[in-house]
Amino acid sequence: MSSRDPRSSILALRSSLLGLLCLVLLLGGRASAGTELSVMMGLGEGEWRVMRERIFPPFEEQHEVKVRAIQAEADQAVKKLVAMHRAGRMRVDLITQDVLRLSSLIDAGVMRDLSEQREAIPLSALPQLIQVGTFDGALYFSPYRPNVQITYYHAEKFAEYGLQPPRTWEELLAVARRFKEAEGVGRVLLHGSLDVNTSIHVMEFIWAAGGDPLLLNDAGSVRAFSFLQQLAPYLAPETRLANWNTTNTFLATEAVYLARNWPFGVNLLVQQAGKTQIKAYHGWQGPLREAHVLGGEVIGIPRGARHPGPAVEFMRYLMSRPVQETLVTALGWPSFRTDAYGTLETWQRPYFAAIQEALRYAVVRPHVTGWAEVDRALVGAFREIVYGGQPVEPTLARYHQQLQKARQRLR
Amino acid sequence: MPQKLKHHTLTGLMVLPLFLYLLAFAAVPLFSCVVLSLTDGASNAFPSLDNYRVLFRDDQFGQAFQNTLWLTSLGVSLEVLLGLAVALVLQRLVWGRAFVRAVVLTPLGLPTVVAGVMFIYLFSSTGYVNEFLYRLGLISAPIDWVYGGWRSLGVLLMAELWKVTPVVAFILLAGLESIPETVYEAAAVDGAGAWRQFWHVTLPLLRPSLMMAVVVRAIDAFRVFELPLILTGKSFPVLGTLAYSEYYEYDNPFTSAAAATVLLAIIAACIGGYLFLMTRRPMEGA
Amino acid sequence: MKRTRWSFWWHLGSLPILLLTLLPVYLMLKISVSPPAEVLTPHPTFGLHHVTGEHWKALLTSGALWPPLLKSLLVATWTMLGAIALAAPAAYAIARLPQRWKYPLLLSFFASRMIPEVGVALPVAVQFLRWGLEDTQLGLALAHLIRTLPFVVWILAGTFETIPVALEESAQVDGCHRLQILWYVVFPLAAPGVAVAALFAWLESWNEFTYALYLSLTENTLPLQTYYYVIRGSWFDAATYATFLAVPVMLITAALQRYLKAGYLMGALKG
Repeated sequence: MSSRDPRSSILALRSSLLGLLCLVLLLGGRASAGTELSVMMGLGEGEWRVMRERIFPPFEEQHEVKVRAIQAEADQAVKKLVAMHRAGRMRVDLITQDVLRLSSLIDAGVMRDLSEQREAIPLSALPQLIQVGTFDGALYFSPYRPNVQITYYHAEKFAEYGLQPPRTWEELLAVARRFKEAEGVGRVLLHGSLDVNTSIHVMEFIWAAGGDPLLLNDAGSVRAFSFLQQLAPYLAPETRLANWNTTNTFLATEAVYLARNWPFGVNLLVQQAGKTQIKAYHGWQGPLREAHVLGGEVIGIPRGARHPGPAVEFMRYLMSRPVQETLVTALGWPSFRTDAYGTLETWQRPYFAAIQEALRYAVVRPHVTGWAEVDRALVGAFREIVYGGQPVEPTLARYHQQLQKARQRLR
Repeated sequence: MPQKLKHHTLTGLMVLPLFLYLLAFAAVPLFSCVVLSLTDGASNAFPSLDNYRVLFRDDQFGQAFQNTLWLTSLGVSLEVLLGLAVALVLQRLVWGRAFVRAVVLTPLGLPTVVAGVMFIYLFSSTGYVNEFLYRLGLISAPIDWVYGGWRSLGVLLMAELWKVTPVVAFILLAGLESIPETVYEAAAVDGAGAWRQFWHVTLPLLRPSLMMAVVVRAIDAFRVFELPLILTGKSFPVLGTLAYSEYYEYDNPFTSAAAATVLLAIIAACIGGYLFLMTRRPMEGA
Repeated sequence: MKRTRWSFWWHLGSLPILLLTLLPVYLMLKISVSPPAEVLTPHPTFGLHHVTGEHWKALLTSGALWPPLLKSLLVATWTMLGAIALAAPAAYAIARLPQRWKYPLLLSFFASRMIPEVGVALPVAVQFLRWGLEDTQLGLALAHLIRTLPFVVWILAGTFETIPVALEESAQVDGCHRLQILWYVVFPLAAPGVAVAALFAWLESWNEFTYALYLSLTENTLPLQTYYYVIRGSWFDAATYATFLAVPVMLITAALQRYLKAGYLMGALKG
């Protein structure tokens, strides 16, 4: 080894260190701002674009604040907020949170009581969305937008096989079987990713049969799970990875022909991907009724927020009619106000109609401490019964026991 | 003797920052993790084996345990084999050496998550692998690669191999390049052909490198996290993703810590056992 | 003579290696410039038939491109500097220790690498929150050091071991005191090993995901941003972002592969 080697290495090392240090010093500093309102939401890129370009600027101008956006999925948001609250360092001023993810925040005492803001809620608001934000008689979350899953279907493929989008469980089974037999692989999708997505779908089946997801071993639940077990062999293999995000990919690549999912996929599928052959309707009904879990988002202000005043103003702004109408027009989000009519484009209308129709069957998920345990039981039962082929009644009895015990301990 | 004392003080001072750092940021959090795993979540009683009981009863845990072991054992074995092959090729290249080395190094510079993204596109049901097989006429219906079972294991192995083989290849290349040419010449004089040279000369001399590669890789392979998280999700759970989902989805840091502690125990047992076995055997040297 | 006969096959063997390594990267590139019809179909195409810049345009104007890249770069640099600063003196001291102290010590440092991040990240995150380090670059670098330090100490200890003590002793005889010896004798000889260790530390931090997942709030690192695109994004976001990363990485590794001489790892192997 020549003696030049170490020296050139040293030179390279020194100069790169110097270069990196300069880079670090130049770029490491962060500029400070005036009043900054930190807002936490869980959105996709397209949705953030609408927020940044159309929703935030008018508020920023009018109130002379800068809105700092923080992206966090619902579960993440819960963890971060609880951690910040416990450490006494609340860095977020306002959040929009999934309605199915509120109880942990309430249990940990993170949210500010907003009861005095009740009069700011318009009379045209959907009562269920206010109900969902009320805990023990106090308002902790203001309504923002309701949401419900719609059922997408590949119109061309259905036409090819002479099928109609299923309206009942029997029709659903028939459609699934037909596709499987004709193509050799299942084409009907459920959210089988074994997390909260699955528990939502399972709950809808249980409610549709008149059961109670908190009991799990009543007649309705047994009926629902028996049906799911019957459906299992004809489900698409993608079911195992299907959640609210991947379902859109499966629909777009035409790997599945029937799937239930949140309506934000309409923008991605039809507008961005140009898949006009994928249509939507409100869904199917079970033996007793049609049931959809009411989803959506509500607005809350954490305790210890540094700018509560502007936060309340922003909350009112988000609830205001012009903003709600923009959200309808730009994102296709149904509004919580019945008096907000956005201007929909022609292609959006049938999907919007499907959403409105499905909202009629929306059921509010009850407020219960420790919903995570219920999720765990529903997911476990689904895994064993649908994927594992275990006998329905004994398995449900077991999960019923497990759930009762877990809920007892949490009291 | 003051010289010696001064020497020891200086040594102590040089090691101290590192030692303190590891104590504060590695030992203490690890201790917290173990303590957390032995704390009952509902009643905060300590010590309690309740978390472990809940975990062992869950059949997802059993699956995750098995999957982790399979993924690690098959993964490390394949990585060493493939790394050795790549190292051998790299050693003997004359033309295009810099180019091939640069290309082989590329996966090292890409975050694992990015590698995972690539394999999602490859192995989804309408992905490129299925399309390739379809065009060759080998399949008519798409194969479900990432939906559990041995196929998912295969996909994860391929993704890991893609990302990690450069590291192993370079460790083994170091070992290969340190074997002096004279050893081979002596063997050739004794009449040994290429294969025998490899088996009786190269491999034994490569033993320290191979051991190091195995240990280095095994420690990391047990803790596989990003790839199963984004490629296969719950359909192929491993202990890392199980610990994460216990905390993230089910809001239970206690069972999460328990799963992590089990993982730590497996790693310690396997590495310890391996090193014990390897250092007991007498070294065959040239 | 035998070498040249086999040389052809060995060179041929490099072709599948090149192909398999580059194929995924090419496919990412292809997806990032393809119109939706070519990708969102049951039968995607392999070649570059129609090329569109719409995905790149969307990515470049989204404003989500540079901040994660910057954060990852800076954190990786802090980690690298911290690793060398903490590990080099310790490794030097350890390398000069008698055998019976050295191995247990090195082994115990190495054992700390066995710690699963998923278990430790939560206590670390809680503690960092109390210290106000959550969501800072410094905090994340400190967490990355947990993973990186043991290995860096190991490599550097091996490097320092290869520097014969006799060299230092003769310098001492010539009248240099300790610090001078370190700077003028030891460091130049150890420089290649230090470079490899530094590069390794940098890469580990650049790649790190788990601590970033638990410790980041408002600013994502690169792997986190990619993860966001995977779980939330459109199909093209993830591919475009992956290509955006892959190309410069390939260029950099091409430039740096000269310095990553395998021989520098030998020092660690002797241990």
